[in-house]
Amino acid sequence: MEKKITMSHALSAHLRAIKLLNGVGAKLFAVMTLHAIVGALTPYVTVFFSAQILKELALQRRADVLWQWVIVGVLCTGAFAVLKAFLYQRDTTLLDDLWGRKEILFVQKMFSMDYADMDQQTTHDLRAQIRQTENWSGWGLMRVLETYEAGLKSVIGILSGIALTVSLFTSPVPDTAGGFTILNSPVFILVLAAVMVLVSMLAGACSAKSTSYWSGAAEAATFGNRLFGFFGFIGTHKGRGTDIRMYNQQHLVSAYWDKNRAFGTNGAIGKLARGPLGIYSGLGTGITVLVTGSVYVFTCLKAWAGAFDVGSITQYVGAATAMAGSIFELTSLIGTLKTNTGYLDNTFRFLDIPNAMYQGSLTTEKRSDRQYEVEFRDVSFKYPGAENWALKHVNMKFQVGKRLAIVGENGSGKTTFIKLLCRLYDPQEGQILLNGIDIRKYNYRDYMDIFSIVFQDFQLISQPLGNNVASSAVYDEVKVRKALIDAGLGDRLETMPDGLNTQLYKDFTENGVEISGGEAQKIAIARALYKDAPFIILDEPTAALDPIAEAEIYAKFNDIVGDKTAIYISHRLSSCRFCDKIAVFADGQIVQTGSHEELVSTDGVYANLWNAQSQYYT
Amino acid sequence: MKGNTKPKYGIAQNIGWMVKIAWKTRKRVLLFCMLTPVLEILYNLAELYIAPEILRRVEDHATIGSLLGTILFFTAALFLTLSIKDYIRENAMFPRVDVRTEIIGMIGLKCNTTSFPNTLDAEYIKLREKAHMACQSNREATELIWQTITLLLQNIGGFLIYLTILSYLDWTLLAVVIVTCVIGFLVSRHTTNWMFSHREAEEVYYVKKEYIRDKAQSIELAKDIRIFGLQNWLNDLLRKVHDIYLDFRLKAERKYLLADMTEAVLTMARNGIAYVYLISMALKEGLGVPEFLLYFTAVTTFTTWVMGILQQVTKLHEQSLDISRVREFIEYPEPFKFEEGEAVPNADGYELKLEQVSFRYPEAEEDTIHDLNLTVRPGEKLAIVGLNGAGKTTLVKLLCGLFDPTEGRVLLNGKDIREFNRREYYGLFSAVFQEFSILDVTVAENIAQTNQNIDYDRIRDCIEKAGLTKTIHELPDGLDTHVGREVYLDGVQFSGGQTQRLMLARALYKDGPILMLDEPTAALDPLAENDIYMKYNGMTAGKTSLFISHRLASTRFCDRIIFVADGRIAEEGTHESLLALGGEYAKLFEVQSRYYQEGKEF
Repeated sequence: MEKKITMSHALSAHLRAIKLLNGVGAKLFAVMTLHAIVGALTPYVTVFFSAQILKELALQRRADVLWQWVIVGVLCTGAFAVLKAFLYQRDTTLLDDLWGRKEILFVQKMFSMDYADMDQQTTHDLRAQIRQTENWSGWGLMRVLETYEAGLKSVIGILSGIALTVSLFTSPVPDTAGGFTILNSPVFILVLAAVMVLVSMLAGACSAKSTSYWSGAAEAATFGNRLFGFFGFIGTHKGRGTDIRMYNQQHLVSAYWDKNRAFGTNGAIGKLARGPLGIYSGLGTGITVLVTGSVYVFTCLKAWAGAFDVGSITQYVGAATAMAGSIFELTSLIGTLKTNTGYLDNTFRFLDIPNAMYQGSLTTEKRSDRQYEVEFRDVSFKYPGAENWALKHVNMKFQVGKRLAIVGENGSGKTTFIKLLCRLYDPQEGQILLNGIDIRKYNYRDYMDIFSIVFQDFQLISQPLGNNVASSAVYDEVKVRKALIDAGLGDRLETMPDGLNTQLYKDFTENGVEISGGEAQKIAIARALYKDAPFIILDEPTAALDPIAEAEIYAKFNDIVGDKTAIYISHRLSSCRFCDKIAVFADGQIVQTGSHEELVSTDGVYANLWNAQSQYYT
Repeated sequence: MKGNTKPKYGIAQNIGWMVKIAWKTRKRVLLFCMLTPVLEILYNLAELYIAPEILRRVEDHATIGSLLGTILFFTAALFLTLSIKDYIRENAMFPRVDVRTEIIGMIGLKCNTTSFPNTLDAEYIKLREKAHMACQSNREATELIWQTITLLLQNIGGFLIYLTILSYLDWTLLAVVIVTCVIGFLVSRHTTNWMFSHREAEEVYYVKKEYIRDKAQSIELAKDIRIFGLQNWLNDLLRKVHDIYLDFRLKAERKYLLADMTEAVLTMARNGIAYVYLISMALKEGLGVPEFLLYFTAVTTFTTWVMGILQQVTKLHEQSLDISRVREFIEYPEPFKFEEGEAVPNADGYELKLEQVSFRYPEAEEDTIHDLNLTVRPGEKLAIVGLNGAGKTTLVKLLCGLFDPTEGRVLLNGKDIREFNRREYYGLFSAVFQEFSILDVTVAENIAQTNQNIDYDRIRDCIEKAGLTKTIHELPDGLDTHVGREVYLDGVQFSGGQTQRLMLARALYKDGPILMLDEPTAALDPLAENDIYMKYNGMTAGKTSLFISHRLASTRFCDRIIFVADGRIAEEGTHESLLALGGEYAKLFEVQSRYYQEGKEF
């Protein structure tokens, strides 16, 4: 984290954070403001009423006046306590709520950012870092709320304190007190005010200095947190259990676990706490009593000289001490403000990741004849940060309504090809055209609508089956059922306890249903069918299925896809045989195209792959 | 369910257990627990006496020297107690974290070494979750208990000292104060009880919120989100889980508010009574302003001590429950023998035998393995094939000693494996399972499974055999590159195929007498798969080997094939003899090979 953060930068960062949070939790800000005001006034109310009673006791001791003050005082303090409790509770509730709800800011960003950025590990690392500092030490977006409330409270506290101490200076020492009349000089007001402000600010500065040590160690702590999270809880991961035992991984785990002491006494912050962090903090807190001491000296001398009674001493000391506390708070907040700005900058760096992808506004016409023609024209692509081209000079035209197979070894560019086709990435060179127009000129969402894809690493959500198939909160039940039956899940659907409302997996609720990898794949296929897009793409659709299920899916697929254009990616070459056309990828290029019969009888990549697999079956 | 039964250990036992761990890990924790109450009480007394003592000197018109001396004395006392107190407060967390970390380490050790069947035991899992929950943050029992103990000591000390100060006053006043405290406490306990009993419900809300949040932000779902337009649905879910949580929080708020209101009213009553009593005393007996102030402050502070004791005892009780769960988890019974078992004998070859073995998963209605007999001869290359769900993996887990059979026995050279030290028994196997655990440590450490005395020559040999040399060579730090991104941000993320090869290299490095490969080529392309098959004979030289697959073609290089269906050995023999038999195996082979035979229509 950079050291130099100017105050104006800190303030503008905080202002932006407040605006963002206010957008998610506007009610909280109203409650927080009221809570700060009531909270700031409460100590002065107590001080004021008890001082009135003491004053009366010190001087005239009139019973009726005393009882009056007791009744009014007790009721007023009580009313404030009740009001404060109301506001405090609502404040806490809404704050708890906002802790979770503010995630919407990050979610929205992640929904809208380019897939290229979403696919970068650095993006997720930054997100993880923001979350980790927030969880461990509370720095970041949410700290702004605390700062806002504390800042407001201390400003009001200072104002109220001044109101209650004005008479300390205006009540003169009587002339009879001889030399003590010097206390009436305005110089003393200035001296006392200066002492109060300086001491409080010194204390605040100490505390700010102490806080600043936290920002230095954030990096190490974040690393420690990762080490902690990984090695401390590895035994709870379901799939790891076998290897952990067969390879006695406890040995290696404990070696790394013992390295993890970032948060303890030997961690960076722990060491600092024994040294400057702790000392500055202790000094900062301690120094504040010097204000109490000097206010006592001044007021007592004045009272001793006869300017006012002893009851008033308690009022002045009480008010001045509370005020000094507020000044201290305000000064130390400057430290918090600056330290937190570093973390806010991190947050904004994430929220401000730019969208580099051009998005046009053309709508794709909804053609009932499904006449969408896609063409790759001399397309080359490399992944961000990569040195090698993942695709080189690819030319390809899809025939509408036909079946295309894409085969090749791992890493030959098959999946990259699909990612470009459905515009998860844009190529650096060449063009992809839809009905003759560059796909960049279309509206992004509209363009997405013409593809249904079952990715190799497709994901379902632990939510009802029906919603998963329809990808939405509301859906057409008949259509969903048909998609599931077409995908071969009809029998399983019958045995689902709540039909389409059956929750998948147990992650979200305990009464969810666990499904096998093969069943999940069929649901993913049903989802692609439900979308009913003109292009349907299957990326290794049968990897999790056994041969019988594979045979079923393949045999049925021609019927299922109907008049759609279908693209299959596979390294099981058997799936290619019923396709009209096969494109063979090698090293980022299309090296062969043709039908199975043509390719298998030609010397080349395809024939090699085919023979490697089929030798065991002939 | 055990989770709801009475805890095994009481408050005193649990404090004792924690103290013992702290004594071993960080004695400072205990020192701070003693020191803080002393400082707090001293600070409190200075606060109590500062105003009355100074006022008395002003009222009595004592000398200026004595007045200033008093102010100086109290200011110094406040300064010292406050500073030291705060210094300790800044430092208290770290040793406590050390102790909590130690306990998390103890739980981790249990998780990583407990008998495998425990990891599937619902009761064990529930207890483990509770144990982890008790350690998950600074606010949980295993750390918070130190604060509770500190506060309890502080409140008891304060209570006793104030009792002597206030003994000058009427005892009925003290009795009234204590009674209002108890009433306030009982009402607030109603709230804390409610929260405590709804803790699990609250946990569920958190799980749901986190699940939806993580899904919406996950790298894996990002493609599907864009293609299928999941944004609206996910937004809707996100809003819904938060609305439900807010409902719960509002319900909790009402409970808290009730306690706060009661407290406000009782405080009003208490202050009123104290004022009435002390003002009457002042009017009748001429009590001076300093004394009035002293006693009024003392009465109000006294209530905080009483409340403090009541609250901390309740907290201690709750925290003790949580700590008891941690201990119960760490002491969870082990069905397997480990260190107390017999040593596995050294032998030239090992024969594994399943004798009338049946196995049923806990809470399952049917056996996964039925009355199965199988002998794996030393040096034999055995293939186990069958459809998904036939019981292949379960069979392997029985042979490896991850499960014990429900009926029957597993024998190693004629001796029931239950008698052996199970950890030593695991040492016999070089295994590649479908489920795996690759650690976020270096490539070399992952292959050698240690960070000391790694034999780099052997590693290079193993990665060569596993076909990983080129991949490793291209890594920035070669064998010392970290794997995965969960811990080291510069780690390498291997593809499925590369991971499978890494696991193979690890199995070869271990060089156990029995090699066990469960679907080791599922993520590989045809050429890579073929490459592994070609090397198989070299890898298995001099070893007993088991090869599990649902791709029948891949098992033809084995000596013997057993075909598993419905938890039984349906057919066995060589590939040729099984085809000649014309049974299930032959049928399945026909389905698979259909696609590979030229000219056949389907």
